[in-house]
Amino acid sequence: MRISTGSSFQRGVSMMQQLQQALDRTQQQISSGRRILTPSDDPIASARTVELRETLSRLEQFERNGEIARNRLSFEETALVSVNDTLQRVRELSILANNDTQSPESRRLIAGELRERVDQLVQIANQRDGGGRYLFSGNRDGTAPVTTSGGAFSYNGDQGQRLIQIAEDRQIPDSDSGANVFFHIKDGNGTFSSSAAAGNAGTGILTAGSVTDSSQYDRDSYTVSFTASNSYDVIDSTGSIISSSAFTPGDTVAFRGIEFAISGEPAGGDEFNIEPSRNRDMFSGILDLATALEKPVTDDKSRAALHNDVNNALQNIDQAIGKVLDVRTQVGTRLNAIENQAENNASFELTLQTTLAGIEDLDYAEALSLLSQQASTLEAAQATFARTQGLSLFNYL
Amino acid sequence: MPSVLSTSISGMIAFQRALETTGHNIANVHTPGYSRQVTEFSAREGQGVRNGYIGAGVQISSIKRAYDQILGNQLQTSTTSHARFDSLNELSSRLDSLVANPETGLNAQLQSFFNSVQDIANNPASLPTRQALLGEADSLVSRFAEMDRQIDDLDSEINLRISAAVSDINQLATAIADLNDKISLGRAATGAPPNDLLDQRDLLVRDLARLVPVDTVEQSDGKLNVFIGSGQSLVVGIESRALTTQGSEFDPSRLEVAYQNVSGNSVLDNRLSGGMLGGMLEFRNEMLDPTRQALGRTARAVAQSFNEQQAAGMDLNGNLGSAFFGIDDPAITYSNRNSGSGTAGASVSNLGAVTGGDYLLSYDGAAYSLSRADNGATVAMTGSGTAGDPFIADGISIVTAGAPDAGDRIKISPVSGGSGSISRTLSDAQGIAMAAPTRTLAANSNIGDAAISPSEIVDRNDSDLLTSAVIQFTGPGTYSINGAGSFAYTSGEAITVNGSEFSISGTPQTGDQFTLEANYGAPGDNRNGLKLANVQSVGVLDGGSTSINASYGQVVGSVGSATRQAQVNFEAQSVVLANAEGAQLAKSGVNLDEEAANLVKYQQAYQAVAQVVSVANTMFDTLINATRR
Repeated sequence: MRISTGSSFQRGVSMMQQLQQALDRTQQQISSGRRILTPSDDPIASARTVELRETLSRLEQFERNGEIARNRLSFEETALVSVNDTLQRVRELSILANNDTQSPESRRLIAGELRERVDQLVQIANQRDGGGRYLFSGNRDGTAPVTTSGGAFSYNGDQGQRLIQIAEDRQIPDSDSGANVFFHIKDGNGTFSSSAAAGNAGTGILTAGSVTDSSQYDRDSYTVSFTASNSYDVIDSTGSIISSSAFTPGDTVAFRGIEFAISGEPAGGDEFNIEPSRNRDMFSGILDLATALEKPVTDDKSRAALHNDVNNALQNIDQAIGKVLDVRTQVGTRLNAIENQAENNASFELTLQTTLAGIEDLDYAEALSLLSQQASTLEAAQATFARTQGLSLFNYL
Repeated sequence: MPSVLSTSISGMIAFQRALETTGHNIANVHTPGYSRQVTEFSAREGQGVRNGYIGAGVQISSIKRAYDQILGNQLQTSTTSHARFDSLNELSSRLDSLVANPETGLNAQLQSFFNSVQDIANNPASLPTRQALLGEADSLVSRFAEMDRQIDDLDSEINLRISAAVSDINQLATAIADLNDKISLGRAATGAPPNDLLDQRDLLVRDLARLVPVDTVEQSDGKLNVFIGSGQSLVVGIESRALTTQGSEFDPSRLEVAYQNVSGNSVLDNRLSGGMLGGMLEFRNEMLDPTRQALGRTARAVAQSFNEQQAAGMDLNGNLGSAFFGIDDPAITYSNRNSGSGTAGASVSNLGAVTGGDYLLSYDGAAYSLSRADNGATVAMTGSGTAGDPFIADGISIVTAGAPDAGDRIKISPVSGGSGSISRTLSDAQGIAMAAPTRTLAANSNIGDAAISPSEIVDRNDSDLLTSAVIQFTGPGTYSINGAGSFAYTSGEAITVNGSEFSISGTPQTGDQFTLEANYGAPGDNRNGLKLANVQSVGVLDGGSTSINASYGQVVGSVGSATRQAQVNFEAQSVVLANAEGAQLAKSGVNLDEEAANLVKYQQAYQAVAQVVSVANTMFDTLINATRR
């Protein structure tokens, strides 16, 4: 085949250009550390990296979200621990006050501390998180949740619970509304509450009741009415007597699936009321107890009334402690879940980054050997170009 | 004896010519398009004497150029293909780096916008966080605008390039026609081919083939006729025809290539399927337009679905969310051939059904019909086109007015302008609707242990959306709503009141109350915020199967693979072209060594015939001397 001088020159130059391009590309890859320099180098892989980066960015956001939820829940937990400590102290004081050896003076002191403890509880309920938002106002977190007016406590938040996205398909509450923690606490034993009528002449004292058969209990209001000191009727809310029974002190009164004991000596005409449990706030029960402790104890009758009041208050306090424990358990579970999710996210992130690196990153060993191969090819091409272009018959004419 | 002289002189003349041709070859070793010329010798007719013929020397029968028409044609075809993929490759890699570059692409910005929504959801009452979202939205909108602007820039650049290419084509056509004239005159004058003119003309045809695909037919007198497109003659003999550019039917700013007929201009665009011009048109139709549409569709999906979720929420001021993004309605353009006064207006009524392509609404004298602009497929419409009952097709509502004439056409581009027209309309950071419009609560006096779930908005257009409703249990198994009716209670079953949905679960007691009310004054609520953040990954396009993220991923993917394809084709065509060039040069190119050898060969021959003259001279002297005395 004929070789034209022009084309052999041209071919030599364009070969060297191609080699230089390849060399330049390898050099760029090495200096950037990336295998894919422009998307069209590998469209499928670059579409995949776009997705991976998005997922990574979302994961990082979820980690931030989890951090925020963890922060708030830690605030809440600290607050709940304080609430629990305060309630435990209130409980101790109540048991102390129930002791007959207490003098009116010491009871008044206990009452005073109880009032302080209530203030302390309200203060905890009105705590704010690090960002200045109220912890226990639900979604109305710009409003202090608890206000007091004339011994009554009102809740100003709502019952909302904010959710935080901590993973693609997982949202977790970062708070509990004050309505749930401080206001929706069932009184009595959680199912029913019992109380002695104010005008009781005897010394009958109620002890904590329990539900024996919840299918029988119908949440009606009942009155245990003593017809004499040794007999009573149980009357329902419509006024009909559902049972009558003889009584000796310490007997258990049982009807409609519930039971409780009455100790002491009730007089004929004394009444004890059984009501279904109602929601009560955490604070007013303690205040009521303080008020009861400040009443003078003059005889067995008033002593029995005090015991009944303290017993009632103790039941309420136990309910509140139970509620706080319940909420703390939930908070702990959530914190755990965030922890687990953070670990999951971190390991997923690692997997994603490994995948991304596998797609995008350069294999240096391969690239460097390619570079030296390309460089020596170019050198050879340059040498042969100079050599062949120098060959001419004219040199000899 | 005189014949010896004349024989040798004929040789001297012939070899002198041959040396001149060799010199010409050497001088043109690097001239583009030059074909090496070869001197062909033949013996002159001899003189008959009694005992035979005595040779009369040599003559040059022709000076031919080493040229192979088949190789020439191959070179021309591969030049056309190469130029097509060259321009396609160059333009598409620019588009590719625009849409898929991590720095200039949309992904990062989309992601940080939605991350910013998450940040507010974590802290809904924080005004600085809310303000940050407005900033992110501005960046997103300007990212869209910037991409749209760059696509527009590419579009106008293509217009410029088309004009330039058409004027080049016209100049080349004139030059070819001129050469045709000279070549036919030259041939007529000498009867021999004017080699250098032929080379020049071949070079011009190749330049033309780089711009558009051409067919050539040579006439017997040496004139070359050139045809382009589907047989439109560009050069016939010594006449050339001019191409022109004109605004397209629906867009005066979009240039098309047209052929000037006696009856008017006819558009050539679809018939130019190669060369640089064909490559540009192909890029414009098959990459630039679809990318603009896909990008616009993504912009529309962002604006419309974010706005919809925003409208289903309540802002910090206690109002239902107002529009966050603004975006233009689908663009309507009218054919420049329309004679009637028919007009149309369009809006996107169902985002999930929007395809992204453009449509043509044609009036046949009795009714409108709709077809896709890209492939002409008919699209079924429902409705009658009035404001009350608009035409609906592929998620677009079309309202027509005026009096169209038969044959009038209206183009509807549902998404093309989306990327350029998306804007942020919400100015107040408090206006970001992070809260749900309603909330539920259980009454403090409830005895039962039933709980109510948070409310979900199922119909944000319900006129009583913000009106309170009370669910009161009239028995453990029945409840009334606002004191009316008696509904059977099932734990956990959804209850829908005033456009909100919630459920009550557990064991309620008679008299228990639950309230649904407007969610005023709840700055900490983020229920709608979580949904806003989720807008990016929920399927909103293609009937709910494609999310915003995925729709942009599709843009990146399709541009990337089209670019890759153009690149691969370009590389393949470069090899084909190099081979064709190589084959042609092997035939026609000058080899200096060969010419050097020829130089030596002709020089020696010249010296030899000169020696013959000297011999003739000696013979003559001998004769003179013999007859002197």
